Amino acid sequence: MTGLNRILVVAHNTYREAVREKLLYNLLAFAALMILSSIMLAKIHLGYDERIYYDVGLAAIALFGVLIAIFVGINLLYRELAQKTVYTMLAKPLHRWEFVTGKYLGLVSLLALEISLMSCLFLSVVWYKDASFPLELLYAIELIFMELVLITGVALFFSSFTTPYLAAMFTLGIWMIGHVLGDIRDFGNLPDAGHIKPVSEALYWTLPNFDRLDLKGPAAAGEAIEISSVLMRTCYAMLYSGILLIGSIVLFRRRDFR
Amino acid sequence: MIQIRARGLRKLFRTGFTMRALEAVRGVDLDVKDGEIFGFIGPNGAGKTTTIKMLTGLIHPTDGEAWIQERSVTDPSSRRHLGFLPEGTYFHEYLTGRELLDFHARLLGLPRDVRQQRIPQLLERVGIPHAADMRIRNYSKGMRQRAGLAQALVGDPDILILDEPMSGLDPLGRKDVRDLILALRDEGKTIFFTSHILADAEMICDQVAIIVRGKIVHQGYLDDLLGQESQGVELVVEGIDEALFEELKAVAQRAVVQGPRFLFEFADEQEAEKALDRMRDAQGRIRSLVPRRRSLEDLFVEETKKETRA
Repeated sequence: MTGLNRILVVAHNTYREAVREKLLYNLLAFAALMILSSIMLAKIHLGYDERIYYDVGLAAIALFGVLIAIFVGINLLYRELAQKTVYTMLAKPLHRWEFVTGKYLGLVSLLALEISLMSCLFLSVVWYKDASFPLELLYAIELIFMELVLITGVALFFSSFTTPYLAAMFTLGIWMIGHVLGDIRDFGNLPDAGHIKPVSEALYWTLPNFDRLDLKGPAAAGEAIEISSVLMRTCYAMLYSGILLIGSIVLFRRRDFR
Repeated sequence: MIQIRARGLRKLFRTGFTMRALEAVRGVDLDVKDGEIFGFIGPNGAGKTTTIKMLTGLIHPTDGEAWIQERSVTDPSSRRHLGFLPEGTYFHEYLTGRELLDFHARLLGLPRDVRQQRIPQLLERVGIPHAADMRIRNYSKGMRQRAGLAQALVGDPDILILDEPMSGLDPLGRKDVRDLILALRDEGKTIFFTSHILADAEMICDQVAIIVRGKIVHQGYLDDLLGQESQGVELVVEGIDEALFEELKAVAQRAVVQGPRFLFEFADEQEAEKALDRMRDAQGRIRSLVPRRRSLEDLFVEETKKETRA
């Protein structure tokens, strides 16, 4: 049996476990409510109907996607360790890197499903209200998915060596900082910033820049987005996620299961 | 062929805020031969589970090496022909018994036709065919233990490492597991197991290692360890008066009243012979006369006390 098959077996089981999570359905329900609420909000803001559908819909997909990625993702790896189900799996000819990669792919599959469901609802609202649907909205959704892939990488990295509570806090922290890295760098470049500059530069170049994956605003405003720009951003997210996955594997390989 | 070998296996844990060193396993050597039932026994916290986790790749040894079928345990391929039941049964609760076995069989790369044939057979063999489509979360403790055994057997392994396989089972369940272990040995499999239930271990083991405080204090074949010579004589009689009971009690190592019967343990056969003569004179009735062999429990208690004192 090849390593790829074993990875797929772990990924399938992770996915199967994740779709049974109650938290997932609670968050999906809230996301659905938020997307549907755009119909009501558009009635209040006369003349901005399309913009409201786009803004609220994309924001709901992104926000609840992030929450699912962090809380469901961290819980799944932690539970495998806390409930010791990992014992019987790793006592088989399964490499630890295969286990971690399988878990990651299982979570990414879950996020793909979740993004698809929320996007379908979003599209239904747009179709129902007879609004236009520019291709840029799909680009924005694709980059939201890449943002979730990257956050899952961050969550996996932290949960491979710390408790789920801390891992969730660290991941949320990194996600929030990752959205303001440009501002942090600008702050460091101010004439009176002094010794802050090296710190802001280090943060800018080392932490994942989630702002680069955020095209919700331009897409909702109807600005043109180049496909090459979307591809570059996708490559960035994939490369960074790959590095985080390798980091998680290195930490997980050193771990003792007491 | 040696199926499981360990040389100088040692594990040091760092615990607490001050990272205090705790030596859980201190230089364990093991040789488990093909087709043997090997009992690994010791008190709580002796290092049994840590040793097993090092053999199954769950814990990295601090020093020393171990091999399964001549492959280092650091190489996951060493576990290709290994079945493992951890202490306590930890499963994905949302799976049914059948799904659990299918998941583990797929991890081992078993083709679909083999899985479809083997899984019902295994569920039948461990005694839970009726629970095949029941979720694990609804299993009783005994059923979980049986599902765990089926999981360990799903790859038809040459070697089985079972950590407390009889824990949580009722007497009938324990007998089933003992019979299963013996049947697996007859099929040519090698079984390495830990147990707190020494009577069970004594009944089925070929070889035994006693581990105390991380160190093996005794290892060998049961007959060699326990010896063949009698450790005393146990006599059960009826119909004697109190005066004779007191007289025999004075020379016996132990005397107990069991309702209408009296049990005496004598240090040797000569003492027992003298007691028998007195019994006949008093017209007492002899119910049984059994030479007492040293048990695994006796050896275990001796060795544990010795090591604890040291």
